[in-house]
Amino acid sequence: MATTSRRSTSNINPVGWWRYLVALAYLAFVLAPFFYMGLVALQTDSGAGSGDFLPSQPQWVNFTRIWQAVDLGLYLRNSLVVSTSTGVVASLLALGAAYVVARFRFPFRNVFRISLLATQTVPGILLLLPLFVIYIIIQHSIGLRIVGTYWGLVLTYMTFALPFAIWLLSVYVKSLPVELEEQAMVDGANRFQVIRHVTLPLAIPGIVVTFVFSFLLAWNDILFASVLTNPDTKTLGPGLQYYVSDSFSIPYWNLLMAASLVVAVPAMILFLVVQRYIVAGLAAGSLKG
Amino acid sequence: MSIKGAALRVAVAAGLHPTGRFSNRSPVRVPYWLLSPSLIPLVVIVFIPMLFAFYISLTGLNQNTISDWTHAPFVGLKHYMDGLEPNGPLAPSFYGSIKASVIFSIATTLFILPIGVGAALLLNGHIRGRSFLRAVMLLPYIIPTFVNGILWRLIFMTNTGVADQLMAALRLGSRDTFWLIGPRSLWALVLADVWASWPFIYLMALAALQTIPADVYDAAKIDGATPLSIFGRITLPLIAPTLGLGIALSTINHFNNFALPFVMFGPTPPDEVNVLPLNIYVNSFITFNLGLGAAMSVVALVIMLTPAVVYLRAARIGDAD
Repeated sequence: MATTSRRSTSNINPVGWWRYLVALAYLAFVLAPFFYMGLVALQTDSGAGSGDFLPSQPQWVNFTRIWQAVDLGLYLRNSLVVSTSTGVVASLLALGAAYVVARFRFPFRNVFRISLLATQTVPGILLLLPLFVIYIIIQHSIGLRIVGTYWGLVLTYMTFALPFAIWLLSVYVKSLPVELEEQAMVDGANRFQVIRHVTLPLAIPGIVVTFVFSFLLAWNDILFASVLTNPDTKTLGPGLQYYVSDSFSIPYWNLLMAASLVVAVPAMILFLVVQRYIVAGLAAGSLKG
Repeated sequence: MSIKGAALRVAVAAGLHPTGRFSNRSPVRVPYWLLSPSLIPLVVIVFIPMLFAFYISLTGLNQNTISDWTHAPFVGLKHYMDGLEPNGPLAPSFYGSIKASVIFSIATTLFILPIGVGAALLLNGHIRGRSFLRAVMLLPYIIPTFVNGILWRLIFMTNTGVADQLMAALRLGSRDTFWLIGPRSLWALVLADVWASWPFIYLMALAALQTIPADVYDAAKIDGATPLSIFGRITLPLIAPTLGLGIALSTINHFNNFALPFVMFGPTPPDEVNVLPLNIYVNSFITFNLGLGAAMSVVALVIMLTPAVVYLRAARIGDAD
């Protein structure tokens, strides 16, 4: 009965033309700034600054110049390493904590859950200075260098990535049936094996969501990266600024826009590959907040 | 063997009363070792730095005392008084920043809400090229904030920017309209942030829409409900919890957005966009009055707890479950 009625509604309710009009409006809204970026990217060095709308002669060579003007390849690699690590570490650490929050009652459980949300309200700038001082103290007292390393940056992004990941994954894990875990325990699996072989595979959509959000957090950051990196570990956030810095006689707006379009590609591919999971994972993860 | 039988055996093996649920009873040993890999880093990189920032806010830490920060003079609540007392020396700048931040974060959230929900409704239904459209909608979300700031700065440049050129071409205004200084700067900032952040609401709304079974709509249609009443009585209530989380997180994120106003306006922004994170940054890292900067951050944190608490109350988190 339900199937019949569903089929009939989709048949008698053809997509109205106005839907395509709205879709077109959205496309224009989203793509117009990209189009403008593309136009600036093809300008000559002086044309980009003078505000000409159409490039007199498209400078496709800009897309090769971006790699030589600044060390874009290095920044891109650093960003990929740091962002991927942030995504993986946050998701894996969070899975353990999320499992405990979802499946057990323990003292201060609700305090822990609410403080996860509370950490999202902390201004990043509030943490930057004390973190920097703490990292320097650790370096001076036990000789462990944190500032300027990959892992130091990844650790720092855990401030915001980890609480969000635990929050989302705990709701996701709660929505999974507990019976499979119980069966595995009966069959003699220990807690780690249960999580590794039962919960982890089932939680993949949720894990993909936390991975993507943590990845983007690191990918888009500029505040922490500008203070906690050195020339070897500099990421795209602070790295792209060199195109318009004082080290050149004029700011290379055209190269900056060209480079921005190029480095958007990895993040775009990531999104295209996992977007199906994102929506499914968010759906289960956020509804029963 | 039935699943229920298995559950019972586990419950007995775990020392539970047979009728007790396996998962929600405390006698089961809680695997704290799974919690600690998250808990310990959070204490070290969030909790301790926050306490430390609170301590700094009570001291006169500045460029003269930073080298010997343990001996920075203790000034108590002086910084809070300077900024919060209506006649305090820093009150105009501080209250101005709070106002700018509140207007900015609320205005941005109000704009992205209908845009995001609209796109989600559109792309949840049947439409040709749906996967392509869904992917394209996410594009603004993956542009690094720094690039977004530069892009909109170029767009809003006086005379040479495309915004002024477009307004002049459409005879809506002069080519010498100022967007990056003066009162219009707030709307330039809002527009830039709306464009970059609306896919967040879109994602949340789309996710929520997908959990609504098609049968619900079919039943409503059979009962003769109009599209408007379906939206108001079925769709909206069902996606409200998710949207609530989205609104709370979005308000907080816009309020704490430092990178976008900093890139668009630099360290000396017009008053209208001198948002709190910028003000804190200038006080902390340009005039090096770190104690004052920390005090302002603590106030910012307290303000931002408001949407969080409102959301928690509305969603009744912590009551039962």
